[in-house]
Amino acid sequence: MNALRDISRLPVDALEFTNIVLTTGDAQVGTSPREVVWTHRKTTLYRYRSSQRRHAVPVLLVFALINRSDIFDLRPGNSFVEHLLEEGYDVFLLDWGEPDDEDSDMGLDSYVCDELPWGIRECLRAAGQEEVSLVGWCIGGSLCAMYAALEPDAPVRNVVLLTTPVDTTGSLYSTWVARDSFDVDAVADALPAIPGGGIDIANKMMKPVTNFWTTYKRLWDQVRAGEVKREAYQAMAKWIADNPPFPSRAYRQWITWMYKENRLARGTLRLRGSRVDLQQIDHNLLVITAGADHIAPREGTLPILGLVSSADVTHLDRPGGHIGLMAGSKARKEVWPEIVDWLEERSAA
Amino acid sequence: MTEDTTTPVEQVQRLYEEAESRTAAAMEEVVSRNSFGEVLAMVSGNAIAVMKLGSDIADLVVRNLRLAGRRDVIALGRQLARTEDKLERVLQEVEDLQDGVRGSRASSNGSPEAVPEIIKP
Repeated sequence: MNALRDISRLPVDALEFTNIVLTTGDAQVGTSPREVVWTHRKTTLYRYRSSQRRHAVPVLLVFALINRSDIFDLRPGNSFVEHLLEEGYDVFLLDWGEPDDEDSDMGLDSYVCDELPWGIRECLRAAGQEEVSLVGWCIGGSLCAMYAALEPDAPVRNVVLLTTPVDTTGSLYSTWVARDSFDVDAVADALPAIPGGGIDIANKMMKPVTNFWTTYKRLWDQVRAGEVKREAYQAMAKWIADNPPFPSRAYRQWITWMYKENRLARGTLRLRGSRVDLQQIDHNLLVITAGADHIAPREGTLPILGLVSSADVTHLDRPGGHIGLMAGSKARKEVWPEIVDWLEERSAA
Repeated sequence: MTEDTTTPVEQVQRLYEEAESRTAAAMEEVVSRNSFGEVLAMVSGNAIAVMKLGSDIADLVVRNLRLAGRRDVIALGRQLARTEDKLERVLQEVEDLQDGVRGSRASSNGSPEAVPEIIKP
């Protein structure tokens, strides 16, 4: 009987499965109300106002140059921004927007020495505060660390680094792009903005079966079992596939300096003539690593703990992947409260 | 001796899952090899070269037709971006000067209440 029922449901399930996959692009992500505070070129500073603000120090979220910052506010009920607002924080988000060919002159220095400090400046002016808490994720974390190292007197009280690449030795990306035969200059010269689609394919190729097959297989199983969470799947799938272009100059610098020469960890990175010395970081520092992170492996983040001079350093290592750590189903109950608790003790006026 | 109570369907399912996880692990090992990195680097290089050739040819055609091509649009975009960079720096200077003026007014009046509130857009 069961087999008969399964067979009879097959066309309906197939229809639902294809509908979920085909309408993924229509999913709504990043829907929390926000206002534009400041824009410069493609960068936008957004503010999410809390109706129950309890903490003086605002939180500025900084995401990577690949994928979109919407992951901080994925969907109602699964949004880190929403969680911070509920906990009484004034939340700002620095969104890098969608760089195009005309932004090929944007380098890491542009982000670290211009966009980030200018965004912080506008954030503080809007919030009427003296200091900010920086929360950087992935490359966004590296940018925050570079900024904090370059500007030890910057108005930053707390720095939170989520799954942040620091020392790239031995990483899979390093195996792919650090080799001489990968000519990053040829790529950056030919493409003023590296297409997001190419970066997306490269990311997915790190776990080819999981990303190209198992994800859909799992969705199919959920549809067959009648347990599919349509909104959750579509929001995440849309976010994963939605990659803005990477400005070629920043891409060239990121690949060369971080992967080919490993400058950040070695202390040889220079931005606009100034050395990025991680030892200059003396802010309250929270570093979060994910045990199953294959994009920014834990081993590549941990060296920062020994490089900074902060007196207040906390390291949390939690199970999960590069994105799942902060956006997975368990994040709301496990990682977010830990971040909020850490910030709370350090966000008084 | 324990009796195997799993149905044939469950056995097939288990075998499939085993095969899938083994394939996933094997593929992850493949992509982490140096040889794969080498192949990927060469394929990327070739793909980029072909794209560049195509783009150059298309640009040449458009230019010879005396139409504004992508390159021209980008040049304009860059010029706008540079102008915006300069404007941003000027705005920041103006804001700093405004803050300075407000601060000096407040200190000459001796009352912080005299400082007008900064209104942000």
